[in-house]
Amino acid sequence: MSTDTGMAYTTFNRNEFDTFSQPMFFGELVNVARYDQQKHKIFENLIEKQLSFFWRPEEVDLASDRKDFMDLPEHEKHIFVSNLKYQTLLDSVQGRSPNVALLPVVSLPELETWIETWSFSETIHSRSYTHIVRNIVPNPAVVFDDITKNEYIVRRAESVTRYYDDFINLSNYYIQLGEGTHTVNGETVEVTLRELKRRLYLTLVSVNVLEAIRFYVSFACSFAFAERAKMEGNAKIIKLIARDEALHLTGTQHMLQIIAAGKDDAEFAEIARECRDDVVAIFTEAAEQEKGWAEYLFKDGSMIGLNKDILCQYVEYITNQRIGALGFEPVFPARNNPLPWINAWLNSDNVQVAPQEAEISSYLVGAIDSEVDTADFGDFDL
Amino acid sequence: MMVSAKAPLIRRRRWFPSRTFYSAAQTEMELVGGGSTQLEMDLGEPAPQNRQRIIPAPAPEPADQGDLFGYLAESPEPTPQIEFDGMAKPVFAVRLADGREARFQHAGSLLESLESQDIHIEYQCREGYCGSCRMKLREGHVHYTTEPMAWIDDDEILPCCCIPVTPLLLQ
Repeated sequence: MSTDTGMAYTTFNRNEFDTFSQPMFFGELVNVARYDQQKHKIFENLIEKQLSFFWRPEEVDLASDRKDFMDLPEHEKHIFVSNLKYQTLLDSVQGRSPNVALLPVVSLPELETWIETWSFSETIHSRSYTHIVRNIVPNPAVVFDDITKNEYIVRRAESVTRYYDDFINLSNYYIQLGEGTHTVNGETVEVTLRELKRRLYLTLVSVNVLEAIRFYVSFACSFAFAERAKMEGNAKIIKLIARDEALHLTGTQHMLQIIAAGKDDAEFAEIARECRDDVVAIFTEAAEQEKGWAEYLFKDGSMIGLNKDILCQYVEYITNQRIGALGFEPVFPARNNPLPWINAWLNSDNVQVAPQEAEISSYLVGAIDSEVDTADFGDFDL
Repeated sequence: MMVSAKAPLIRRRRWFPSRTFYSAAQTEMELVGGGSTQLEMDLGEPAPQNRQRIIPAPAPEPADQGDLFGYLAESPEPTPQIEFDGMAKPVFAVRLADGREARFQHAGSLLESLESQDIHIEYQCREGYCGSCRMKLREGHVHYTTEPMAWIDDDEILPCCCIPVTPLLLQ
């Protein structure tokens, strides 16, 4: 596919090829969206799970949150609104970036559909923030307008988006011009597939960090409010978001592990080995930023049940957990979970469901009972 | 219609009226005060407003204090299943590398069993997709009751969705 004129993106690749011989990325462009042949069945499983998780923000009643919010002391309002702003930023990025960055280079239909399903669920999260903000302040603009101005948020936005942007930048040149040294607007651009793969790998690591660590400071605060029976509607929404994020995290971990194991591209596995120090650096940088954020959150005072030190310990603990899942050594001293009560909040078993859905996690609409028992033939006359 | 005269006649299953179940609270005797029942309306008699009824006092139930000590997961579930002699559920010893010990017999998952014996493992989803409870399996074998979705290494297990089939050594 990569010819002298680049890999020229086409929305329907006419080439015939064996899907099992394709890598996840940078192989043949996907043509038929078919799921009968799957190289990595895990992505199909993730899609099904994500679809069974579908929810709408409007389903959650926030009526009591309005009153709760008005009664909160100023420094707790600051904690609540700041977290909401930060989560809005994260989901704004995640609602579009996987599509923009990954879809042009993906080579497996089940992975392509997982990326789209994943991004779509992030847009539900974004819509839920508007639902929450509308409920607590008369003019939502005062919250949303600050996201691009607040220096604490902007600083973190830079490191959240840097890897995406670097990758998309080079990937665009690759699609248009192919590999080689090109002169674009008087500037020399070097495009190699190896560098593209390196940037893609780092992007996936940075996304993993976003889903695995960055969200959890906010989650902890939302659940700490709800532990005191404050802002409980908000906590219900966060619970649904946390359930989705745990699934997205699993998706990214699978991509990273498939790459690292060299299961579909030997060069990619080599790059993953070379990037081990970068992975540790990305995790450490994110953890330090989140600890800085905890300091900003509690600058005017702690909230009952949570303070800067406990939250920082939680960041370190969760960073060790997540980097361990990718097969790395812990980056912080080993410790027990300083917020053990948070597990009960993060557990999706406790997500309230309609009675007819209570028995199975993926409720099938219009299901037909296809079970046949020998007794059913009892009155057959031959 | 190509129906052969010799073809056996297969009649469709006859329709049976569905059975209706009433919960105990739906019997007329238990509708105290306030409400007029369908039966009373059919008789055309207005329901006396403050009719005194003798309701047998419910037997005092022991207050449900929940799973105070977390023993429920490792105690047998009430089941109508016939217990045969010598067919008791097997017990598997579960040891941890740090020396803690537990036994698995009745719980729905290894995670539940460990929790009920005061061994607390990090968890989140409890259905195999988040990977929070990931542990290293040093010795033994497990059976997955649900296919795990989270990434686990060859020597790792997710206790939230498996049960032991041999004695285990975990880390």
